[in-house]
Amino acid sequence: MGNLIEVTSTLPILVFVVPVGFAALIFALGRVHTIFREWLALLGLVITLAISLAIAGQTLDGKLLFAWNRNLYADGLSALMEVLGSGIGIIIVIYSIRYLTHHQIGMPLNKWRHTYFYGLLVLFIGTLNWVCISNSLIFMWVSMEATTLSAAFLVTFYWQRQSIEAGYKYLLLVSVGVTLALLGCVLIYAAAIPLLPSENVLFLTELGKVAKLMPESVVLIACAMFVAGFGTKAGLIPFHAWLPDAHAEAPVPVSALLSGVVITIGAYALARTVTIFAPYYPAVVLFIAILASISMVIGIVMALVQDDLKRLLAYSSISQIAYVIEGLGLGTYLGIYGGLFHLVNHTLVKSLLFLCAGALMYATGSRKISELGVAFKKMPVTAFCFFVGALAIGGLPPFNCFMSKLTLFIALTERELLWAAIIGAGTGMVTVACFIWVTYRIFWTKPVAVTNPQITGKEVPFPMQVSMLVLAAGCILLGVFPNLLYPMLNAATTSILGILSAGG
Amino acid sequence: MATDLASGNLIITLYLLHFVFSLFTAELRNLRLSIAALVIQSLTLAGILATYASISGNPTLYWWSLTALITKVILIPYLLWLYVRQLPTAETRPWLSTGLSVAVMLILAVVFYSFLHTNVEFIAPTLQASMEPARSNLALSLTICTLGLWVLVVRKDAVKAVIGLVLLENGVHLSLVTLAPTLPETTILGIVSNVIITVWLLLYLAGRIYQTFGTTDTSILSELRH
Repeated sequence: MGNLIEVTSTLPILVFVVPVGFAALIFALGRVHTIFREWLALLGLVITLAISLAIAGQTLDGKLLFAWNRNLYADGLSALMEVLGSGIGIIIVIYSIRYLTHHQIGMPLNKWRHTYFYGLLVLFIGTLNWVCISNSLIFMWVSMEATTLSAAFLVTFYWQRQSIEAGYKYLLLVSVGVTLALLGCVLIYAAAIPLLPSENVLFLTELGKVAKLMPESVVLIACAMFVAGFGTKAGLIPFHAWLPDAHAEAPVPVSALLSGVVITIGAYALARTVTIFAPYYPAVVLFIAILASISMVIGIVMALVQDDLKRLLAYSSISQIAYVIEGLGLGTYLGIYGGLFHLVNHTLVKSLLFLCAGALMYATGSRKISELGVAFKKMPVTAFCFFVGALAIGGLPPFNCFMSKLTLFIALTERELLWAAIIGAGTGMVTVACFIWVTYRIFWTKPVAVTNPQITGKEVPFPMQVSMLVLAAGCILLGVFPNLLYPMLNAATTSILGILSAGG
Repeated sequence: MATDLASGNLIITLYLLHFVFSLFTAELRNLRLSIAALVIQSLTLAGILATYASISGNPTLYWWSLTALITKVILIPYLLWLYVRQLPTAETRPWLSTGLSVAVMLILAVVFYSFLHTNVEFIAPTLQASMEPARSNLALSLTICTLGLWVLVVRKDAVKAVIGLVLLENGVHLSLVTLAPTLPETTILGIVSNVIITVWLLLYLAGRIYQTFGTTDTSILSELRH
């Protein structure tokens, strides 16, 4: 762990500047022609993914990339988040090309609206990368708020009554939460001033060295602020009020982005802050384990009573992100590894399920489970993908979440939190039951009579199928060969532990 | 020594003014008057920053004060004014009646302040931060944060909620001057520009809510859903 090489590189700058530049281009040219909207967005994200992969390659070689006087920094964890973010971004753009222009779902093609959709989507990925490369505690906060802002108008995309309300609620609650986190950042900064040379005080990479020297009460209060603030972003109960509305009212590709990427940014920020303190303050670990267990249980119970498929998936996200945060809060190798593994898996599975929900809405014009009944034979691809997602999210073998949940349970028992592992396993069983029931109600109940001639009830267009199949393949592949991701997850985990062990 | 005493008194006066106008901002039911109170509240904030700059001889704090003057005294109230102009002057009737709300809020603020002031060691990261005037500064800033949260909890008006958020952020900003006076100016610019954009987007959405619903009452919004 101790032999990480520090190098100066322009890659961390590029991974932020390239998508922001493309977003600006889309805003400027998007109205001219469709090439400058979706295709430019696709090109921008593919280049961003390539840069992210280059960063990942460097970090796998045991390098830490610094830029701009150490203000920007990329390690294994940054690389993991960037690859994940731009990858999901590409899949979502491919899906949106046909989905957004569908008259039943959206509205007649509105060039400006589509321009800003793709522009904001690419801008969002840019701000996400900015979060992941910020080495300064305060700039990480600034960029977190930037991700919130760039996603706000994606939530309100339809500009209908409910979507405006959901967007307002999302922006207000997340901003309030994140402001509390700013107070936490300031407290930690103030506590670090006497302990570090002045040019290093703001740096996340330096905080690990002095984590155990700070006054305990200050660290505990700051951690509580971080959990409340970044927990709001992650959708942890009781800070989750924005999440179901925003997921339900946003267009499906944006819901997939919210569940797959936006809430994981909250988890990322917790990994960068609270995880640093977890090994020295057992109270923090216990606090997070309790909150996460409550979130898991209430999230899945709330999911059980929903008739709106998108709200159900949203509540399930609350439940699943709690596993991630519980793992990251443990501060041990296995805990962080399991948390990050589940973060990746949840992103794949939940994006997949949201895209399937979108396909069902595309075909039937409804998002109520009671009205969704679709014959299996009519939409085989969507049905197959939905099965994969439903079984995977329940944590059944041979799908991806099985391995990550297992890792988490072992990590919990290792830190003598057996009760939390039992709650986690119990929640897993309820999740299986919940999703099997949903699948049954959608694909095995009698299809509704089609009244609207525009509603096809047929399989969705090819690009949408491709997006879903890629994600489903990912779920199966990572389930059968969990070691595929080992190098990246290991690099991400050791980079957090590297910051920790710097304290000696 | 005499100047120390004078600036010490000046700071305490500014603290008091800041506190009183925070209460006005939170409690005035007329949105325009509430914004006017917010302007004075932010002005005292800029004044506190400038006074700290002269006491501590830290020239960066003058820049902070200037930034606060431009963003918090001018830009944010201007944005609020732009949107409030199109709305009815009185905010949506809150959950609590005026008298009760003022009483609860005063008790809350005073109890919270005195509790923090006596127990500031608990949150003060350094010895310096637990001595005057930092001690009062910390207690005051967290009290302002609480006022902001209180507004967010009990008010139903979409614009008033934005004012609550601004109060909360001003509270955090006030704590920066004693907790993190060495923060570079670029960081402060990053923080305030974020706040301005957030306020702007929120007000835009509140305006759209008013256009769609004919009201800025957020409790009606959730009733429509179910």
